[in-house]
Amino acid sequence: MINIDIGATAVAVLTLFGIYSLMAISLNLEYGVAGVPNFGQALFVSIGAYVAGLTYTRLLPLLAGEGVIHPCRGTMGQALQLRSEIMATQPVAGFINLGFTFLFAAVVAGLVGFAVSYVTLRLKEEWFLALVLLVGGEIVRIVVRGADDLICSHNGISGVAQPFYFLDDPRASAVLFMSLALVLAALAYFYSQRLVHSPFGRMLKGLRENEDVTRSLGKGISLARAQIMLIGSVIAAAGGVLFALNTGFVNTNDYVVTLTLDVWVMVVLGGVGNNRGALLGALLIAIMDRITQIAAIALNMSGSPIEFNYARFILFGVILLLMLRYRPQGLLPESPLTTDAHEILRRVRGR
Amino acid sequence: MPTALLVTSVVNTIQIGSLYALMALGITLTFSVIRLPNFAHAEYVTVGAFAALIVSLSGEVNPIVIMAAAFVVGALVALVSHLVVFKPLEGRNVSLYTLILSSFAVGLILRYILFMIADSFNLFDTRIRIPLQIIYREGALILTNVFAWVAPTSIALVLLLTLLLNGTPLGREMRALANNISLARVIGIPVERVKNYTWILVGGLAGVAGALWGLQTAVSPLMGWVAILSVFAAAILGGLSSFSGTILGAYVVAFSENTVMLFLNFNFGVDLAYKPAIPFFIIIVVLLIRPQGFTELFNRSRDLQR
Repeated sequence: MINIDIGATAVAVLTLFGIYSLMAISLNLEYGVAGVPNFGQALFVSIGAYVAGLTYTRLLPLLAGEGVIHPCRGTMGQALQLRSEIMATQPVAGFINLGFTFLFAAVVAGLVGFAVSYVTLRLKEEWFLALVLLVGGEIVRIVVRGADDLICSHNGISGVAQPFYFLDDPRASAVLFMSLALVLAALAYFYSQRLVHSPFGRMLKGLRENEDVTRSLGKGISLARAQIMLIGSVIAAAGGVLFALNTGFVNTNDYVVTLTLDVWVMVVLGGVGNNRGALLGALLIAIMDRITQIAAIALNMSGSPIEFNYARFILFGVILLLMLRYRPQGLLPESPLTTDAHEILRRVRGR
Repeated sequence: MPTALLVTSVVNTIQIGSLYALMALGITLTFSVIRLPNFAHAEYVTVGAFAALIVSLSGEVNPIVIMAAAFVVGALVALVSHLVVFKPLEGRNVSLYTLILSSFAVGLILRYILFMIADSFNLFDTRIRIPLQIIYREGALILTNVFAWVAPTSIALVLLLTLLLNGTPLGREMRALANNISLARVIGIPVERVKNYTWILVGGLAGVAGALWGLQTAVSPLMGWVAILSVFAAAILGGLSSFSGTILGAYVVAFSENTVMLFLNFNFGVDLAYKPAIPFFIIIVVLLIRPQGFTELFNRSRDLQR
């Protein structure tokens, strides 16, 4: 049998929960609240990761007062060593670099999200957007991988250490990184709750239910869609930065359609249109991720002939199908929005 | 660009384009008749390839038998996925995104079941074995019996499918469903039965496409998934409704992936790594600029109009 370190596992699961929460909240705002079918979530997550790959190789050495070494090809090992040394000895440079990473990722992802929303205006059928986003993510992935010198195509960038890497105690740095992920997730959650319960959020739900009616009430729907895509993309990119930091490397192979589907499973499982549902979905998927990993290792060690790693995907597929068929509203269904006016009306009517 | 390369790439275009046509027609058919953009179509192809591979590993060398097995297994998987997943959802009048998501889920499940099978029996990157013979040789151009099987078979199947759709009662009923499902029901067309036949046809042809694909390259659990967006690009070029447009679209996609890519590589130094991006660009450009695709090029009276 394998020994499971309960504490370390819990920290890992909670870190993943924080990261997945960002991705799920983002998709929930876009699809659950505003009805934009973002089948390109991997694209927006990957923007965060690619930006991290760029800042860690180009900006970090400068911040630490060193020269930039080309991260790929012959100098790959040298660059990695320099990167690791800086992250281990110069925490200030690491933190400033991370701040810039978040900033750049937010700017790029926001611009892309904003631009994408205008694509919808030109599409004949609504579901074409799903296809355009799905395909757009793949194009970006292929182009980034094809541009050899950007993030070293097939090799990727390793040594993308999390900012608390400099601490001597690996457990403490893991706990601190977990806290960072959880704090960011909490910020995103409270922000999106406020947004959903604002007049803007109600307009988005109107947009989701019936575009023509919303337009007839004098709402500018294309700008609203652009705004929510911008917000959603920024949150997803923040998740992408943390995702890259958590695994410690950036490789284009991680940001495929399967990642998009993972995020969809979270939202559908938790509850479409409900931010709490997105959190619950993220937590359940983070837990299941870990359990299937551990089960796969245990089964392989017990000499089972069947590779269990694949079971994760089959499990997620089955969950998705069962939810869509038997409980499409999710585990935590969206509750009707109430405003002060509703409250007064309820009291006047006496029920 | 050297002539030999050009000729080889055109041969590839014919071979791969015919396979794309076979798969893309299935997507057009499901979209028109069932109203489902089916992303699990990729896995019907892969399932067919694995069925063919397993039959061929058991010692069978007759390509007809191998393809028949692929047809049966592909059709079965497609029918089961319809009856178990898509039909109950259709009955509940769910949104298109729910249907798209569930097709992704079906694909995911099938794909990783195949991964498990491939892993357990060590079937990764195995080719379907029929004795390889060179049937034609002229300079650098070598045509094998694989080419002689793949291209004519897929072209023949595409023609047969077109005939079936245009000339038989079943084809007429399918077109009626594509045109107006309520009207079809009113005039007494057995809608559910026609849908079942459509799924059998679509899955079976996808299975055969998989078997043919496995004759030319190695079988892998990802093979259908890798091709699916190229195939979607072909179907979108056909406006997701026109049969002739889809077939033309398939060859256009294959041509741009092979000949145009080689041309760009030779003359402008574009890295071959960008090849998979070509069908994606086609999808985006067509959806944005010309969502009707090639449909207007053809007389649409016999197409799957909506």
